[in-house]
Amino acid sequence: MESVKQRFTDLESVIDGVHSLFDQLPPGELHPALDETAILQAKLAVHEWTANLVQHADFEGRIPVVVVDVWTESDQIRCTVEDNSKGFDLEGQLVEKRNGLPSVPERGMGLLMLQACTSELIYEKTGEGLCRLRFVVNAGQDPCLNIPFS
Amino acid sequence: MQVTTMSFTVEPCSQETVIVRIGKALDFRNAAEFKSTCQTQVRSGARNFILDFSETGILDSTGLGSIFSLYRQVSPLEGQVVFAAVSRPVQVVVQLTRTYKVFRQFPSVEAAEEALQ
Repeated sequence: MESVKQRFTDLESVIDGVHSLFDQLPPGELHPALDETAILQAKLAVHEWTANLVQHADFEGRIPVVVVDVWTESDQIRCTVEDNSKGFDLEGQLVEKRNGLPSVPERGMGLLMLQACTSELIYEKTGEGLCRLRFVVNAGQDPCLNIPFS
Repeated sequence: MQVTTMSFTVEPCSQETVIVRIGKALDFRNAAEFKSTCQTQVRSGARNFILDFSETGILDSTGLGSIFSLYRQVSPLEGQVVFAAVSRPVQVVVQLTRTYKVFRQFPSVEAAEEALQ
């Protein structure tokens, strides 16, 4: 399937733009196992990442550029999100948040939710000095983020 | 009296119970407004909150965190937060985070109202 891709330079509109992007996935060309749940999990993952960019990324005075690319391969949804921010230590943040999640947490769940509903999660610098997140959402999964409730 | 904010509509249901119509999204963009709206209701005597998700296309981690905040407020008052008419996007978050363990779900607002009477 051809990818659906969009470039954003306005952080105000990136969230709504991301959700609209997923609506462009052509239902007739999707693997039968890629049901609405899988698409919503992928959408949630991209939402959490872009929300993190909007709220916390340091663009060091540059006009923000965020490029979201989504495509399917068999029963997998593949996504990349590239941006021109300074970047951050994703693995360190994930360890910190995983170890510090309080009971019924009011914050700190976003990156953990992203990690829970994806596989092959990779965050890297591109040759052009951009930050790139890439991940896969597999059809038919029942991912779980273990939130302590007591 | 019905109260409408930029994102939410609050309808009294009984002396201690209100319905919050979540609308299209509860996420990092309006979670603070949700918390503030609910705090006002708690100060006015509301203890039970029925969250109507029938129109909701986006619930993210910050939105869920604001619901947990409400839960922390009303639990010591023996209040409840329940979910009604949960849409598919919201159900994906509920399933991912297993929050059905703390928030009862009802197929409709009416069913939730009946259960909380």
